[in-house]
Amino acid sequence: MSGATTTAIIKRKGQRPTEAFDREKLHHSIVAASLSARAPEGQADNIAYAVTNYVLEWLESRPEVTSHDIRLVATRHLRAHHPDAAYLYEQHRNIL
Amino acid sequence: MDIASSLAIVTLAALIHASFQLSISVLTLLSGHAIGAKHSQARIMRLTFGFVSGAGVMTLLALSFISLIFLRVFGRDAPELIWAIACGLLIGVGLAVWIFYYRHEKGTSLWIPRSFARHLSDRSKATKSAAEAFSLGLTSVISEILFIGAPMIISALVLIQLPGYWQLVGIAIYTIISLFTLFSVWVLIGSGHKLSSIQKWREDNKGFLQFAAGGALAVLGFFVYVYEITSTASGALLL
Repeated sequence: MSGATTTAIIKRKGQRPTEAFDREKLHHSIVAASLSARAPEGQADNIAYAVTNYVLEWLESRPEVTSHDIRLVATRHLRAHHPDAAYLYEQHRNIL
Repeated sequence: MDIASSLAIVTLAALIHASFQLSISVLTLLSGHAIGAKHSQARIMRLTFGFVSGAGVMTLLALSFISLIFLRVFGRDAPELIWAIACGLLIGVGLAVWIFYYRHEKGTSLWIPRSFARHLSDRSKATKSAAEAFSLGLTSVISEILFIGAPMIISALVLIQLPGYWQLVGIAIYTIISLFTLFSVWVLIGSGHKLSSIQKWREDNKGFLQFAAGGALAVLGFFVYVYEITSTASGALLL
């Protein structure tokens, strides 16, 4: 999967400017959540690859989504791979 | 007030301080970002220790500063009115903690302005060196001052009555005990515990922590009021 998508991402309740979907950004955040849940580096990378691909597929038919939607979809798929990482990914904005 | 009672009050106030969660949240975020950025375990420990040290130094400085101000203004014996205000503050903050401390949503979001929480969150992400982590620790204690101010004020009022040597002991006791929870999280992170387990525990027990902190503040306020105000007033009546 190339990761090329034209879907626009509406950021945080529209308070920040809309931006194009960035595959690397999502991949990096999934890796970070998996590593924080003490997953080995290789496994974290594989999980991030699978979750990112899933999100890309989901985005194909959608011209515009919110960053919250992406977080929900990524969390749902991440939960199947690594529930602890999914918990941290989901909770990240609710820790403080 | 005798030395044992004074130190007992300082200990309880420090335990209440330790039960507040803002610094723990920032430490959790800081270690999460450090682990996610693939830093070595040694570097993660340096960063998190820098944060805990910063929180400790600011606690020490804040308590010393408040004590010094009281000592300069009131001498060794603060007026009863000041004691009464401090007790009222403890009880008021205790009630506020019961009602407002956590936001009514998933997670452990605190009732602080969202822009402020975002700033601390962004700073914890941007922290790359132990010196920056140290300054984040200093800042996190200041950010909590609304909640920790009351136990610090009552500790300062108690401490200024003590002889110089015991004042230093009291400040050391307060600082060490107030760091207890931060230090525990630091040890858990160092021993390889999952952040998800730590965060889940915090989320599952947030109601208890909120109730305990608010209740302990109210109990401390009531106890000090009875000890300092009521007993003095009834003693004066008997004479």
